[in-house]
Amino acid sequence: MNRRQKEKLIKAIFFVFALISVVILGLIVFSLFREGLPLFKKVNIYDFIFGLEWYPTADPPLFGIFTLIVASIIVTIFATLIAVPLGVLSAVYISEIAPQVIKEILKSSIELLAGLPSVVLGFFGMVVVAPWMQETFDLPTGLNIVNASVILAIMAIPTISSIAEDALYAVSREFKEASYALGATKFETITRVILPSALSGILTAVILGMSRAIGETMVVLMVAGGAAALPESIFDSVRPMPASIAAEMGEAPYRSAHYQALFATGIVLFFMTMAFNLIADYISNKFRQVGSGTL
Amino acid sequence: MGVNAIINVNDVNFYYGNFKALTDIKMDFKKNLVTALIGPSGCGKSTLLRLLNRMNDLIDGTKVEGEILFAGQNIYAPDVDPVEIRKKIGMVFQKPNPFPKTIYNNISYGPKLMWNLSKSDIDDLVEQSLKQAVLWDEVKDILNKSAMNLSGGQQQRLCIARALAMKPDVLLMDEPTSALDPISTAKIEELIDDLKKNYTIIIVTHNMQQAARISDETAFFYIGKLIEYNKTGKIFTKPDVQHTEDYITGRFG
Ligand SMILES: Nc1ncnc2c1ncn2[C@@H]1O[C@H](COP(=O)(O)OP(=O)(O)OP(=O)(O)O)[C@@H](O)[C@H]1O
Ligand SMILES: [Mg+2]
Repeated sequence: MNRRQKEKLIKAIFFVFALISVVILGLIVFSLFREGLPLFKKVNIYDFIFGLEWYPTADPPLFGIFTLIVASIIVTIFATLIAVPLGVLSAVYISEIAPQVIKEILKSSIELLAGLPSVVLGFFGMVVVAPWMQETFDLPTGLNIVNASVILAIMAIPTISSIAEDALYAVSREFKEASYALGATKFETITRVILPSALSGILTAVILGMSRAIGETMVVLMVAGGAAALPESIFDSVRPMPASIAAEMGEAPYRSAHYQALFATGIVLFFMTMAFNLIADYISNKFRQVGSGTL
Repeated sequence: MGVNAIINVNDVNFYYGNFKALTDIKMDFKKNLVTALIGPSGCGKSTLLRLLNRMNDLIDGTKVEGEILFAGQNIYAPDVDPVEIRKKIGMVFQKPNPFPKTIYNNISYGPKLMWNLSKSDIDDLVEQSLKQAVLWDEVKDILNKSAMNLSGGQQQRLCIARALAMKPDVLLMDEPTSALDPISTAKIEELIDDLKKNYTIIIVTHNMQQAARISDETAFFYIGKLIEYNKTGKIFTKPDVQHTEDYITGRFG
């Protein structure tokens, strides 16, 4: 076999491996739709998405997932509000300010945080945060929006922090030197040169963090409380989509309407995360830094 | 201390960690002259230049011995804020490095940090700086376009304008034309000649003709030491040290 043939063969092998993941993705999406779409023969799509009542086992059953969608969106937004400042500021601190030793310690603790299984975090939310919150604020339950958002934020911080950190590192040294040479302080350089230059990367980090939060299942299953009702306060229990799917899938009879409704919920979730990822892609392409000198 | 010296370097040693990059440097830079620093790659020209506005502070593990006086004051004294020094001693880098901002904002960046200026003051300053850097005519209609779209030579003149907008006393230039074509280079050399009326310019260059053309004084360095420092005419016609002559005539690199 000569070299060209070898290279062709190697290319082909890589192509096959790359193809495998695409095929698997395709199969998953296909089965998601195959199991979920038949629901819409029984329930119309508008009632499904905007219906306020989720009584899948009542007679007749009601499949309205609006409260579930709202729950997912609310906990994601609150988690983002908590995680973005913490994640971005820690990234700035790690990449621009911290002395070497502290940098190493912080980086490994954030990596460790990323490595914590979600069930451990959920457990923490259940047995530590929930009772504390219930007592401190005198609530009927500590399993609620705030608790879920905090735990989801803890999960999203490592994602946001590490991607934002990469974006900050990628800001070319030349820009920083130019700023310092003009008599800018470190703080001025960070806020006026480094952060704006890294903006697209930071936005990407935020959106990927959000998509991590919206798809997270175990945490919301354990600490969101599970009430399928529109929340009136941030201390109300909610039932985000992944929690609903995980909790009910085991008891829904195979290919019943309930089973199909859960898959259809999965389809909605799939579109939402896909939207997040597309937005992240779009941002990172659109604002991609134009390189420095065009010499 | 020479009468018209603006910077005095007194017995300076400089270390990157354990590596001694400059040894016993003693020299004065005269006001309103162009001084060229020449020498083979790695001899410490950039290091010395960056010492003069404390840019080496940004590198971890560096150490300075001796003193550098700027207008009589030791810039390495403990109570001196490097930020203040950098406002008075501007710098232009080898590779043009405009910010990824508009042309206007590139120029106004430094002045906005330093002074409380009205919009019209800043407009004037931008125009004046760009005119000084002979870039105004080329960019006056695209001030709000990204500086990244300019050519390399235009970007470098923008960087000079950006430094000038701070109204510095001294302008440090580290091989400012090494990345540019001959026409842009000629423009920048002309510019330097013009600027020395109002500024003290210290320029690192590998181009012997350039040093001979634009500088009044020339310093030759070799492995971290100042070998010879004299009027440019003298250095390029009858240098005192054989080593200098060998370098200038290209007998060694
Ligand atoms: N950040 C750094 N850390 C460690 N050593 C450095 C650093 N920067 C420069 N040096 C070393 O210091 C010496 C002088 O470097 P310097 O950049 O001042 O040389 P130069 O005369 O400007 O060379 P050139 O003409 O190639 O730009 C070299 O031996 C270089 O390897
Ligand atoms: Mg150099």
